Amino acid sequence: MILEMIVFIYLSLGMIIPGILAIISKNPVHAVLWVLVLILHQAFMLFTLGSEFLTAVQIIVYAGAVIVLFLFVVYMINLKREEIWKVFVKKSPLGFVIFLIFIFFFLKSLTFLTALSPHFKAHLPYDLTQGTNLWWIARYLFTHFLFQFELVGVLLLVVVLGAVFLLRKLKEVEGGSL
Amino acid sequence: MGVALWSEIVILVAVALLLLLVALFHVAYLTYAERKIIARMQQRLGPNRVGPRGLLQPIADVLKLLHKEDIIPYGVDKPIFHLAPLVSLVCAASGLALIPLWDTFVLSNLNVGLLFLLALSSLSAYGVILSGWASNSRYAFLGALRASAQLISYEIAMSLALLSVVLMAGSFNLQDIVKAQMESPFKAYIIPQIIAFFIFMVSAIAETNRVPFDLPEAETELVAGYFVEYSGIRFALFYLAEYFGMVVMCALAVTCFLGGYIGPFNIPGLPFFWFLLKLYVLLFFYIWVRATLPRYRYDQLMGLGWKVLIPLGLLNLFFTALLKLWL
Repeated sequence: MILEMIVFIYLSLGMIIPGILAIISKNPVHAVLWVLVLILHQAFMLFTLGSEFLTAVQIIVYAGAVIVLFLFVVYMINLKREEIWKVFVKKSPLGFVIFLIFIFFFLKSLTFLTALSPHFKAHLPYDLTQGTNLWWIARYLFTHFLFQFELVGVLLLVVVLGAVFLLRKLKEVEGGSL
Repeated sequence: MGVALWSEIVILVAVALLLLLVALFHVAYLTYAERKIIARMQQRLGPNRVGPRGLLQPIADVLKLLHKEDIIPYGVDKPIFHLAPLVSLVCAASGLALIPLWDTFVLSNLNVGLLFLLALSSLSAYGVILSGWASNSRYAFLGALRASAQLISYEIAMSLALLSVVLMAGSFNLQDIVKAQMESPFKAYIIPQIIAFFIFMVSAIAETNRVPFDLPEAETELVAGYFVEYSGIRFALFYLAEYFGMVVMCALAVTCFLGGYIGPFNIPGLPFFWFLLKLYVLLFFYIWVRATLPRYRYDQLMGLGWKVLIPLGLLNLFFTALLKLWL
């Protein structure tokens, strides 16, 4: 129990502190790296909850792809630190309002979940003690949520085609052959 | 409960350290073997001054690198500059924990072990990107861009090749993949999945930045690349990460395609014999490729990745699925 508590406290602090540092650090690359630290802690929080598959997906998709792209964007546009800070300070009242709205919804959902928690086992569509987490995810994705799953697949295909289409147009304008 | 738990943790850490030491020994002598084998292939002698037949050469190399001055250039982002080689090394080396070396010896037998290995390899791009950016040098930065584009594109081909193995075995667990191979008609997936094996080996060479895809560190024609500003022990860490990457990739290939630790017959007293034998054959293949093939041009490298390996991997995955469906 004590070990679990220590791990839980460490992982939560590992999510909260980098989150705050990501917001207040003036260097955009450092900010992105703090988000990376946050995401890794989040992934291992999922791991402690027994969801190995989601941990791996979190690391592959968010840490391995999304944050890398963020880093590339931050490198390429070469933001001036002071300008970002100015924009940040100017926009902060609006940000604070959005933050309050989020907190409201968060607390609302939290009270809903705590009210639900005694009967939580009954609400789960499956029994976690039988079969691995991965097995259940696969089973539900390919039976119950097959239509939604395919829909997301088509959406991603459209995104890829869109990117290729944009690139083609760019080449025609330049008239060059790469 | 408390004592048992702590003793379990202590044993786990001790075993992990032992594994790391053995792996480090392998890495050190891999550099020696590489120099010797390439020398033989080029009709030279190779290292032969330090110790009998040059056998102590790796130790001399390490001592030399440790004694070199650790230069930190002006204007670098110090914390990230110090962190980047460690990120490279940790991401390359921790994959070892997931590889089953024997049916009772695997450091962490995860249900999604293969996915974790892929996750670690996708994280290893950070070492490259961060070192290039933190060095505050145009050469290092351009090298980092070049290298990370290569790493990201070949990761896709590698994942596709491994996915067809997962389809064949029906599990992400590496231990289960080995057992599934034992029960399959050919005893190893290299025969039914020869295309996947080919794709995996090519992309593994690209992932570990080895010749003929060593554009991130093409010393002979471009400036070295992302680690150009590093010296001394920090340079050695990048070097170590590359060789660790080689060992882990070869171990993964052994596990997924060559039947892992299972051999035609058991040898009493030498439990890891077949695993190590297969590992050494693949490592020799790596070195052989380096001695034989010239370096690719960058556009050829990207073309091979995106236009040949990825479509081939998708086709192979498709046919594997059909095979699985009908057989």
